[in-house]
Amino acid sequence: MPDVHIRIINLTKKFGAVAAVDHVSLEIERGSFTTLLGPSGCGKTTTLRLMAGFYSVDEGEIYFGDRCVNDVPSHQRNATMVFQDYALFPHMTIFENVSYGLRINKLPPKEIEARVEKTLKFLGLEGLGDRSPGMISGGQQQRAALARSLVMEPEVLLLDEPLSNLDAKLRVSIRAELRQIQKKLGITTTYVTHDQEEALALSDSIAVMNQGKVVQVGTPWDIYYRPRNTFVADFVGIANFIRGKVTDSTPSGILMDTGEEVLRLDPRSSQASVGQKIVLSVRPETILLSKQPPEDQRNVLTGRIKTHSFVGHFIRYWVLCGTREFIVDLHDPSGLGVQEGQVFLQLHPSKLHLIPEGE
Amino acid sequence: MRKIFREPLLVATLLLVFLGLGFFVLYPMVSVLTYPSIQDFASIPGNARYLRAIYNTFIMVLLSTTSAVVIGFLFAYTFTRTNVPLKKVFKTFALLPLFSPPFMVAFSYILMFGRNGLISYTLFGVRYDIIGWHGLWLSETIAFFPLAALIMEGVLQSIPPSLEYAGRNLGATGWKLFRTVTFPLARPGVAGAALLVAIYVLADFGNPIMIAGSFIVLPTEAWYRVSGWGDVTGAAVLTSILLLPAFFFFVFQRYWVGKREYTTITGKVTLVDIPPTKWILKWFLFGCCTLVSLLILCIFFGLVAGAFSKGWGFDYRPTLSHWHHIFSYSQPLINSLYYAIIAALVSASFAMVSAYLVARKEFVGKKTLDFIAILPAAIPGVFFGIGYSLSFNTPPIDLYGTSLIIIFSMIFWNIPIGYQTAHGGFQQIARSLGEAASNLGASSLRIFWDIELPLLKSAYISAFIVSFIRAVTTLSVIIFLVTSTNIVATFRILNLVNDGFLGQGAALTAALLFLTFVILGCARLLFGRKIELFKI
Repeated sequence: MPDVHIRIINLTKKFGAVAAVDHVSLEIERGSFTTLLGPSGCGKTTTLRLMAGFYSVDEGEIYFGDRCVNDVPSHQRNATMVFQDYALFPHMTIFENVSYGLRINKLPPKEIEARVEKTLKFLGLEGLGDRSPGMISGGQQQRAALARSLVMEPEVLLLDEPLSNLDAKLRVSIRAELRQIQKKLGITTTYVTHDQEEALALSDSIAVMNQGKVVQVGTPWDIYYRPRNTFVADFVGIANFIRGKVTDSTPSGILMDTGEEVLRLDPRSSQASVGQKIVLSVRPETILLSKQPPEDQRNVLTGRIKTHSFVGHFIRYWVLCGTREFIVDLHDPSGLGVQEGQVFLQLHPSKLHLIPEGE
Repeated sequence: MRKIFREPLLVATLLLVFLGLGFFVLYPMVSVLTYPSIQDFASIPGNARYLRAIYNTFIMVLLSTTSAVVIGFLFAYTFTRTNVPLKKVFKTFALLPLFSPPFMVAFSYILMFGRNGLISYTLFGVRYDIIGWHGLWLSETIAFFPLAALIMEGVLQSIPPSLEYAGRNLGATGWKLFRTVTFPLARPGVAGAALLVAIYVLADFGNPIMIAGSFIVLPTEAWYRVSGWGDVTGAAVLTSILLLPAFFFFVFQRYWVGKREYTTITGKVTLVDIPPTKWILKWFLFGCCTLVSLLILCIFFGLVAGAFSKGWGFDYRPTLSHWHHIFSYSQPLINSLYYAIIAALVSASFAMVSAYLVARKEFVGKKTLDFIAILPAAIPGVFFGIGYSLSFNTPPIDLYGTSLIIIFSMIFWNIPIGYQTAHGGFQQIARSLGEAASNLGASSLRIFWDIELPLLKSAYISAFIVSFIRAVTTLSVIIFLVTSTNIVATFRILNLVNDGFLGQGAALTAALLFLTFVILGCARLLFGRKIELFKI
């Protein structure tokens, strides 16, 4: 039985006539790292801000444990937030920034100092206490903002795209650091991002949002390999879609007629009935590309390479098969060189993910 | 909405702000507009003096605005787009008139170019008389072109240089580039500057009262009505006529032109090399700037010379007797400083709180509050002054002859200065700072105190200084409110000049100016260069 820490029930928030968050329900496990992922305007940040208490709830409830926090002011929720722009007070030193919340709560100065020093040390910021925010690097600012939240010893940590202002390399290293800190402290953490790679790399659980609704909740693995609909498949990673109709469905396999060929796929968990319209989602790296016709004749398509793009650790081909275009990634292209002309694509039956048409 | 009622202090503040603005801005306005009867307004077309004042005012707005904007543009263009020698010096000169009392330009030009003028008579022996519409035109041009230059400098600076480079890259150079790229981009800014200058010219009281002679304009005619015939109704009618175009220009500038500006000001001044200016343009601009700078220099020279000369026009031997007179009767000067400091402090604080409410809180009537807080910027000083004299000189609120009536008028006349500075400041402070503080347990009041206020310090100080300068130099607002008990320096100067004590007038003006610069210098020393003055 999972220990649910945050329970969001039918949450709705409207700005004017537009529902930024539209009847969202979500359960977040205690101690987990959960990411709200989606394109801009999908309602992820609004959901986070409702959890933080910056907006009032229009409809629905938010529970922290057994306590409904709808009408609890932000600072009494024991949930601290790290902002996208860090929101470090520019006229205060790092020490003053980090100690701000403790000072407001009128803790004894000795305790304040001890706790701030401990937190600064924990985050590798020792010795920077008397600097002002403008005098430290972006990565340090990010950690100072985190320190200001963590020093309050919150039950819930809320992070609003905290890495988006950092350059690419720093982002990857701080990402790993963040995950370690969270695991060490075991704080229930909700993280907002539009970066699918970040979400996959960090999370225990991802809630994909679109147009104010949660469209799928699952582990990063689930979200990537078993997207519930074409939106998730397309938003998280890159997907080739093949549309067709089920012509046969037995425990040993499903056959699908695309109009140009018949494809075979492993049944796995998905169920499909004969005559049903379905969409297959195929990840570019699961397609095998070869100059010679493969020995295994199943699920082979012939096509012609339209163009390519070399990205270093892989090469991406755009292959035209009749009217359809496929994106195919070949890893470590160093041995083969750049391919051209006619090629054969093989789609492995176990790597085809089935989505019912209309989802 | 529900949230705001959880904070009673906030509700109280809101109420206070609304009451303050309603009582000290709206009520005096209504008092003026309702004082004359409908018949009084209906008689305007039949009154030849009224018509002449209207016509003269119209002519002056046309003439002075045009010349001020043209010169302002030349200066702004010189600052931002050329390598004209001494342009930094020209810029300093162009700023000087902004710090001086509005009537000072006219006063000094009488000293320099009048019948007994130092340049016209003593130097060239010409009995030229500058009194009249041409003197007024010159004075207003010099007094108000700095405002236009400052606004248009901002506009020209905010045009990304890349656009001009793109134009040049496509083959447009020189005049063609200016005509097809630079000027069209600056046009909304130029229009905005012209409207603002027009408001200043319309409301100008100090220059015409000094130099226009029998050439009457609306503000001076309103004053003559009251001082000569005790005709308050006539003054109310005349200033009401004045309010109409001022209000129209203001609304037009703020809500129409403001929305048409193409460039956004990012605060980033991109430094790129300025391509060398053609020699003919360069020396033309240099000539213009030199001429105007000399005219500005004349103002200060005339003033100082006047303050130390025995008898202007005939006896230029140095003397300290004018200063002796000034300091033996120093009440007006002391009052001026005392009123202006209090008024500027209160005005900047009140404006800061109003701006905080509008920028950070949700409540019914927010748009209205925003509008009333900037409204005084559209109100001509004489209208404002008459409003106060009609509203607060009789019971139930009788402040006749008190310091309070002057201080209140200065406070609320300057609200827009502080309000706009602070409002801009709040917009620059990321909202997330307040949210972060609230998330850590700070109440509304603490957020204001711990976060917003320290970050707005420089905005507050610049609002204070500009309010102070405007309060200490105003003549139009206080002219209807001054009595022997609450007399201020500007009014005293007017009397001295009218009575022919030019030397004493010059000495008092110089003293006023000196104290203004002392206050400015102190602020600079205390708070560094961060303070931006006259950022409109």
